[in-house]
Amino acid sequence: MKPAKNIEEFVRLEKPNVKTGCEMDERTLDASFAAMDKTIRAGKRNAAGIILRSRAAKLAAAAVIIVGIGLLMVYRNPPEHQQTSKIVSVAKSPAEMLTAMSLNLAWRRGGIEAIDNQSEKAFEMLGSQPAKASIQELLVELNGV
Amino acid sequence: MIDEKILVWRFNRGSKDAFQMLYEKYKDDLLGLAITLLRDRSFAEDVVHDVFVSFAGTTGSFQLSGTLKGYLSTCVANGARDRNRLRSRRDVGLDAAEAVQCDSDDPVEHAIDSEQSDKSMQLLGRVAYEQREVIVLHLHQGMRFKEIAEALGISINTVQSRYRYGLEKLRSIMNSMVTK
Repeated sequence: MKPAKNIEEFVRLEKPNVKTGCEMDERTLDASFAAMDKTIRAGKRNAAGIILRSRAAKLAAAAVIIVGIGLLMVYRNPPEHQQTSKIVSVAKSPAEMLTAMSLNLAWRRGGIEAIDNQSEKAFEMLGSQPAKASIQELLVELNGV
Repeated sequence: MIDEKILVWRFNRGSKDAFQMLYEKYKDDLLGLAITLLRDRSFAEDVVHDVFVSFAGTTGSFQLSGTLKGYLSTCVANGARDRNRLRSRRDVGLDAAEAVQCDSDDPVEHAIDSEQSDKSMQLLGRVAYEQREVIVLHLHQGMRFKEIAEALGISINTVQSRYRYGLEKLRSIMNSMVTK
């Protein structure tokens, strides 16, 4: 074996075998745990701080607030055309739509246009009708004869 | 190795048990390294204490690139170098430094520790600090020259030359002891 290798082996084998004392262990662990607690507390604060300080987070928060307010306003005070159609569409089936009561309600809320719309909607739901119908056919349809 | 990664992962999530297990695993090894470098037990304990406290402070953001032993050994070596500089400013050279003391509770353990420490460190203590640092990190801590170079911020050639000169110095010391 080369002399250099001998020395390497000697140094490697003569590694000091020391042990820490109880006092040192206690002191180090106490200080370390305190450091961990401090870092964890600071980390929680930082998370809130990052949201408040970040420009993108600020913009996102502002956008969310604006959208929220907008949605709230739309649902609370819907536009007039939506109000009319909502009232008219209370009647669900074509039969209900064409009753005197629902037509009367539509007249009160939106006038002749509302009645027209409601009637059109009802006819749409009933399905397409032939453009031309003879009187006989109509009588057959109405009387079932 | 996998166990160590799991412990580091748990430590990063604030587990004190995981930290304590890591401390128990490496404390003696790191204290041995610090004592070999500084030849003063109280200084060495301070360095190891500081390394573990600052390591604990990285919980949640600690990222391990190599081995934890390598990382902690590097921290101890850097801390020991700083202490050594401070001590040099106070004109307390290595030869004048007090003998390694042991604060172990068990007297038998104390005696064994002192004897072994004296034997192994007497020779290394006579080698220049920079050379001793490289020798100890390579032979005792199992770090490669490349790792040492990165850890100490010097070139790998410098590390190798310090190592070689350190071994030559050791050999000449041992030869002179034999001839006496």
